[in-house]
Amino acid sequence: MRAELRGLGATLVVLTPEGGVQLRPDDPPERLRPAPKFWKTFAAGLPPALTLILLAPDGTVRLRRTSDDAVEPEAILLKVLRAAGKAVRTQAADAKHPAPARNALERARLAGSARGLGRRELLLTSLASAIALAVLDACATTPPISEAKPNSAIGPDLIDVNLEINGETRKLRLDPRTTLLDALRENLGLTGTKKGCDLGQCGACTVLVEGKRIDSCLALAAQHDGHKVTTIEGLADGPRLHPMQTAFLEEDAFQCGYCTPGQILSAIALLNEGRASTDDEIREGMSGNLCRCGAYPNILAAIRRVRS
Amino acid sequence: MRHFTFERAKSVDEAVKGGAQPEAAFLAGGTSLVDLMKLEVLTPLRIVDVSRLDLQKIEARTGGLVLGALATNTDVALHPEVRRRLPALAEALLSGASPQLRNAATVGGNLLQRTRCAYFRDLATLCNKRTPRSGCDALEGWTRMHAILGGSNQCIAAHPSDMCVALAAFDARVKVRGPQGEREIALTDFHLLPEQHPDREFALSPGELVISVFVPTTAAAARSRYVKVRDRASYAFALVSCAAGLELSGGTSGRIIREARVALGGVGTKPWRSIEAERALAGQPPTKDSFRKAAELLLAGAQPRRDNAFKVELAKRTMVRALTLAAEGA
Ligand SMILES: Cc1cc2nc3c(=O)[nH]c(=O)nc-3n(C[C@H](O)[C@H](O)[C@H](O)COP(=O)(O)OP(=O)(O)OC[C@H]3O[C@@H](n4cnc5c(N)ncnc54)[C@H](O)[C@@H]3O)c2cc1C
Ligand code: FES
Ligand code: FES
Repeated sequence: MRAELRGLGATLVVLTPEGGVQLRPDDPPERLRPAPKFWKTFAAGLPPALTLILLAPDGTVRLRRTSDDAVEPEAILLKVLRAAGKAVRTQAADAKHPAPARNALERARLAGSARGLGRRELLLTSLASAIALAVLDACATTPPISEAKPNSAIGPDLIDVNLEINGETRKLRLDPRTTLLDALRENLGLTGTKKGCDLGQCGACTVLVEGKRIDSCLALAAQHDGHKVTTIEGLADGPRLHPMQTAFLEEDAFQCGYCTPGQILSAIALLNEGRASTDDEIREGMSGNLCRCGAYPNILAAIRRVRS
Repeated sequence: MRHFTFERAKSVDEAVKGGAQPEAAFLAGGTSLVDLMKLEVLTPLRIVDVSRLDLQKIEARTGGLVLGALATNTDVALHPEVRRRLPALAEALLSGASPQLRNAATVGGNLLQRTRCAYFRDLATLCNKRTPRSGCDALEGWTRMHAILGGSNQCIAAHPSDMCVALAAFDARVKVRGPQGEREIALTDFHLLPEQHPDREFALSPGELVISVFVPTTAAAARSRYVKVRDRASYAFALVSCAAGLELSGGTSGRIIREARVALGGVGTKPWRSIEAERALAGQPPTKDSFRKAAELLLAGAQPRRDNAFKVELAKRTMVRALTLAAEGA
């Protein structure tokens, strides 16, 4: 459910007369006390019936649905979630592509994002059932609280972060917690950079920042404001692959391919660093990139090929 | 990850001011802090990004090296003067983490990195370092990676840094600036033993920012090596490591140790310098025999537990090896 919420960039708030629950994508569910301030904003000032609210990252209401007693809560939830998905999709498409696609590249991008959103729709369905369960559970277990203390449901202040990704300046408004990896994958849709361990232990998320390789999972995006970032998407020159990409193909330097973008960026950086004159140096220089498929000998061969 | 506010310090003064606020944390490379924030082991409310401060310089002075707090682990390791005048430090840094991590990791962040004790990192277990007086699951737990020197009945977490072991051996001093001004702390006093307060790991007050590290470069430093033993060939924390340096006098036939420097990693709750072993080596010939005797002395007080008894002998052999390499010359 969290991944889905994160994908939508939304906070879910459920209000009942006894209080409510707030769920941000990355936090434990937070109990809300009965809060007249909220009721004013979200429920016409009255203690709400079961009300579901999706908040956009800037705190504005993206969607609100209140149950009338006649309808089953589960049905409402499903309806709400479907509507939310629709709203989100239109919004995303509008923001990304204000005018019709002009050229082949843009058409390809559009097709790409349409695929992504299709998957998102699937996620929404599972989100709907997960939320339904969570809400029913919360309604059953939230104890009534007498003192009415308002509770902020709005997330943290978003911050502006500019990144120069593969030569293109991208302006982002981000939750400060966003890692560089998540900014690339979730906010910019550049899913070529992979998330393996998310703890700096595998190298799948390797990118070049200001020409140097780092693990993007252990860097906050905000920390790299204004920096140049190169990802796997930025290596090819039109249809012409980067020599390291070609070498990986020719040497069969992968099986499942999950570690490959990180391996390729790491290998390019290694050769730039100029410490790859022997096989042992290459192995040591590539030790920050793990490959579960064990394609190591072929990766070594690919790097050797580009070096010479 | 918990919520926090993010601010970038434009000057050292601004950083110190921000860092002195309640629940603030400095952010340099992020490789230790962000990691632990994801696990919610650390939950600062305020992140003060110091990574753009002008503290990246590495200076080679007559008496020693000055490493800026924001110099990356890569830059220090590859600096020609570091490699020439303190090879053990370059080797220690290159043996740590991965190239990607070393490109982000900084001198200051490395000094203040937290233990890799599995119980510290796992919120489902008890840890006095994480939550004072809550208990320690490591004591009766899986202790392969834990310390055999400097532990207490509260905590036996090993200190993880390679860099700090080399710095401890060669009398490094840490320059810090805080709300009360600037001061210097000997590296061997910078990390605290767990004793009854394992949550207190550093001799720093709130808001104190590491500015630089000074390492005197002596004859022993120039003839120094770092040996690290770990569970895989690379990209793993030390089971045992040793930084050793020797100043020798006399001809090739009758060489004598004038001065020795020894510190161990992976075995102590802090980087483990042993003045006692160094004294025992002074005046002796640089032979396996003298090295072994000093190693026996150093590890006499070791307190191994169920899974790490092997570290006692491994540490002795690692120390003999590092001293042997140092004697052979870098
Ligand atoms: C998978 C993995 C493997 C690793 N392997 C090794 C290894 O084998 N050997 C080894 O030694 N290390 C290893 N490390 C640890 C690595 O060396 C540290 O994470 C790194 O040195 C921390 O530096 P940083 O700049 O990224 O620190 P940050 O994460 O930015 O900060 C770490 C801490 O230092 C504080 N801090 C940072 N700069 C200052 C300053 N100037 N003044 C005061 N406080 C400051 C921060 O507030 C924070 O508490 C590994 C890390 C990972 C993730
Ligand atoms: S995902 Fe970043 S190192 Fe594994
Ligand atoms: S090719 Fe599968 S993980 Fe490397």
